Amino acid sequence: MTDLADLTLVEAADAVRSGQATSRALLDACWANIDKANPALNATIWLEREQAEADAKAADRAVADRKPLGLLHGVPMAHKDMYYQTGRLSTAGSALRRDWRPAITGTAVARMAEQGAYVFGGLNMAEFAQNPTGHNKTFGDCHNPWNLPYITGGSSSGSGAAVSARMTYAALGSDTGGSIRLPAAACGVTGIKATQSRVSRYGAMPLSFSHDNVGPLCRTARDCARILSVIAGYDPMDPTSSREPVPDYEAALTGDIRGLRIGVPSTFFLDGVDAPVMAAIEAALNVLAARGAIIVRMTLPLMDAVATYGSIVSRVEAATIHAQWMRDDPQAYGQHISSRMFPGYAIPAPYYVESLSRRGPILRAFAAEVFSAVDVLVTPTIPTCLPTLEETDIDHGPPGTEYKFLAVSINTRPFNYLGLPAVSVNCGFDPNGCPIGLQIAGRPFAEARILRVADAYQRDTDFHALRPGVLS
Amino acid sequence: MDDFPTATEAAIARWFSVSPPNDPGRRMVADLTHTIAAFEKLRGTMVFEDEPSSFEAALQATKETGV
Repeated sequence: MTDLADLTLVEAADAVRSGQATSRALLDACWANIDKANPALNATIWLEREQAEADAKAADRAVADRKPLGLLHGVPMAHKDMYYQTGRLSTAGSALRRDWRPAITGTAVARMAEQGAYVFGGLNMAEFAQNPTGHNKTFGDCHNPWNLPYITGGSSSGSGAAVSARMTYAALGSDTGGSIRLPAAACGVTGIKATQSRVSRYGAMPLSFSHDNVGPLCRTARDCARILSVIAGYDPMDPTSSREPVPDYEAALTGDIRGLRIGVPSTFFLDGVDAPVMAAIEAALNVLAARGAIIVRMTLPLMDAVATYGSIVSRVEAATIHAQWMRDDPQAYGQHISSRMFPGYAIPAPYYVESLSRRGPILRAFAAEVFSAVDVLVTPTIPTCLPTLEETDIDHGPPGTEYKFLAVSINTRPFNYLGLPAVSVNCGFDPNGCPIGLQIAGRPFAEARILRVADAYQRDTDFHALRPGVLS
Repeated sequence: MDDFPTATEAAIARWFSVSPPNDPGRRMVADLTHTIAAFEKLRGTMVFEDEPSSFEAALQATKETGV
């Protein structure tokens, strides 16, 4: 074994379980990369080394004592700094919560702890999870591990950067309009937004309760399957969570995608796509076709409705949640967040109710037409080559910067309104050396299927295993 | 529609006591005309459902049934 930090999450958990590595050694390996890469990346908001060493010691003692070990036993992790843990910081990336320590622990974090994982830090994020780029006025912008002046994607910016730079084996992100998939794409890692209601949101900072999702960013699809198997499922603390049984996601990763019909939308998702991105997507489709998948070019129905209604729902809900701070202390927010929330107050309630009321019928119509023809959809996660932080900086950029900024999440937002699961994997690099993401989406509760496709792709490619430039 | 941004800002102030936080926020209020146009374009294309919770039923009705 060379660098323990190069192990995937599953390999790391297996190494601890088998006695090939200690939890303390895993922690030290993560910390070596934090020391090396984090000064350039700014991927963390807080770190607690002393507590982490105690947790590692306890995990190693459990192995020595032959106690029952969970699926994530002894694996150190850091998460987007919006997951509540009793008595620990949870800043939400904002000056408004700089010192806030919740009195509860969120279900996703608690379930991972029950399986032996422990948390050593809070990761940088867009303020209140509200931008797709990784800008942060209070804690500083997070930088792309492959090319520092470029965006990490957001809002789970630190999660993407830290997983990519081997500072943590996995990280929770959250996804309201692409905030897991975008940093996964931009940082060259794997991230999944599950079906709406698949994972409990209890103890996760809310942004848009109709569109919010909790999910992991990891190095591989198998790692995502491992974490999703732990955090998915009904939670009485979140009555909106689904009672749908949780399948064995890892068992579904057989590599067999023979006969699977992959739909490639020729409209909307490819509007304005950059040539290097399209070339990487076509190359990825060739990889999947070589495994026996059938590629189907198609147009998608109802995309105007999905985009329009989805935008209304997100903006109204975010504005509502933040109304008190927007009244009392609006200048505490970065411009990019307060400017986006402000128009939300002018959207009439009938628009909002109508947008919500059409969500079910639109999903039914979309699914009936699309998933009778194909099993999954494949699109670019981000249709353009990555912009720089400077090009998308609303707080300091010229008028109009806000439009460049919003274009980043054009391909991810539709799946939040539709509630469909979607995963992003790295499928190449643009001319600036920044990763390109392949987004794979499926019908409701098709997490096992889309992870199978992602895993099949990663069996035949090595983009997910490459180390970013910041570690060289 | 020239006074749309001003009138809209006044309505936000009246209903929510929230003031324009910055110039990008003002521009985004002006851009609500695009939202209105997009919404109006969809009018009549779908039957209005008076039960928003139908979404959860739709998730179940359209779900994956086996891999």
